[in-house]
Amino acid sequence: MKPRERFLKAIRREEADRVPQLVRPGKEVSQRLSGIFGVSGHELGIRIGNDAIVCQVGINAIMEMAKADLKEGETFTSEWGVVYQRQSGFDNPIEHPLKTREDLKTYVFPDPNAPRRLDEVREVMKKYHKRYGVIVDLSSSLFEPSMAHLRGMENFLMDCYDDPAWAGSLLDGLADYYSQLGTRAIEAGVDVVRIGDDIGVQTGMLIPQDLWRELVRPRMKRMIQTFKKANKEIVILYHSCGDFSPVIPDLIEIGVEFLSTMQPVGKMDLARIKKEFGDRVAFKGGLDTQQLLPNGSPQQVREGVKDIIKTLAPGGGYVFMPAHMLYQDVPTENIWAMLEAVKDYGRYPLKF
Amino acid sequence: MDIMKQIEENIIAGKFKETEGLVKTALEQGKSPNEIITDALSKGIDEVGRRFKCDEYFLPEVMTCARAMSTALATLKPHFTTEKKTTIGTFLIGTVEGDLHDIGKNIVSMMMEASGFTVYDLGIDVKPEVFIREIREKSPDLVGISALLTMTMPAQRDTIKAIEAAGLRDKVKILVGGAPIDQRWADEIGADGYAEDAVECVEKSKVLLGLGR
Repeated sequence: MKPRERFLKAIRREEADRVPQLVRPGKEVSQRLSGIFGVSGHELGIRIGNDAIVCQVGINAIMEMAKADLKEGETFTSEWGVVYQRQSGFDNPIEHPLKTREDLKTYVFPDPNAPRRLDEVREVMKKYHKRYGVIVDLSSSLFEPSMAHLRGMENFLMDCYDDPAWAGSLLDGLADYYSQLGTRAIEAGVDVVRIGDDIGVQTGMLIPQDLWRELVRPRMKRMIQTFKKANKEIVILYHSCGDFSPVIPDLIEIGVEFLSTMQPVGKMDLARIKKEFGDRVAFKGGLDTQQLLPNGSPQQVREGVKDIIKTLAPGGGYVFMPAHMLYQDVPTENIWAMLEAVKDYGRYPLKF
Repeated sequence: MDIMKQIEENIIAGKFKETEGLVKTALEQGKSPNEIITDALSKGIDEVGRRFKCDEYFLPEVMTCARAMSTALATLKPHFTTEKKTTIGTFLIGTVEGDLHDIGKNIVSMMMEASGFTVYDLGIDVKPEVFIREIREKSPDLVGISALLTMTMPAQRDTIKAIEAAGLRDKVKILVGGAPIDQRWADEIGADGYAEDAVECVEKSKVLLGLGR
């Protein structure tokens, strides 16, 4: 079975020959694995057994993927006007373009239709789509970029209370931008559109679910409707870190059919979620990256992979992935143990 | 409604402009800053903490309430000169060496200040020797050491060891926090306490200082 077929079956909640895999190494792990395999970028993902490819085109791409040669403490400014600084290997936003709410009046969003913006997507489609699934990643999409990139966390969280209409107009600007960008990617033929918007923390939602329903949900719904208009078969993937379980029913209502990252924290009881929503959504992620992968033994990692497959993969509807990218705290032997366990335990029919 | 009750309710609602106005009115009516803090502000912020703990309030609400609280405290400040110091304890906080994250630490500072502690915030990337120098200078009751990354967690241990080596360990209570931190780690490195969030940091601090709840 071709990787793409396996991936598509899984996201349509059918059992393929085995559980497909999409493991995403962060910057340092990419370098480590490239040193071993002699390949990098998308080729590296394929080499470690991935069945799909992710093209990051959203505001986070700048933060997570670019500037490999930046040194600790160095900064750069993105086309959104955000200043990032390399801190402990991550490029973190340290200066935000919307210093006051007034600044939004004159703020110019980047052009979603800029000619070269989707070059990578088109290239990936040409080179890999026959064999591999392709996800276009619009992270971060609405709430998260407002908070983390454009306005600053403390400012935006308070804006939502002080001036919700203003917060709404910033979210509208982002929804417009991503609606167009996502539509262009769908026209290029991608299989999945990934909306990423962190609203969860370790213990529960970062913001009250009512606030999310009032401010974020209608804009996300509008984006999804636009995408479905461009291709009614398009699968919408939604990602949030942390516990976002209170809004899973909302996400399903507005057209999300694929959920990631399924971090096992707070009230994210994965068995319950699979049981309750597994007939309407597929899942990706779930393997703990906070304790198990960095601090566990290879044997514990194997057990962890087995558990997660046992919980989320029955009946299809699961793409294996750790609950986040792999960062520099994960030992190489745990990566091998994880990849091996996916092959050992992920074959359908599952035997447990 | 009683002015104190009104202040309390505006703190709980996170309305900083209204709170400021009401605090001024209370002062004009002859209430003392200490009365306003004890009978209105503290009650309000305690209720905010309670709501956060039982999932009625979320982080942004806690932040708006803490802002209302600091606005109120700033309004009261010029009136403190004639009264005794009202702080319930001093708290020194910083993010460990090699870690530049400060959002969580700032929220902890806000809540501690709002709850009546005098806070000295040393900022980010704080070397153990800076913690030591500041402990000597400010003689805080409590020291908060923050680390956001699994990679910078060991710096919490190094900082505690350095405080020990400087002979200051028994002079302060040490609290640790940050996304990857848990009670087990706090025990392992010899901290006096671990707080999962800003509200818990206030509670644990009060317990460590024998102030109850």
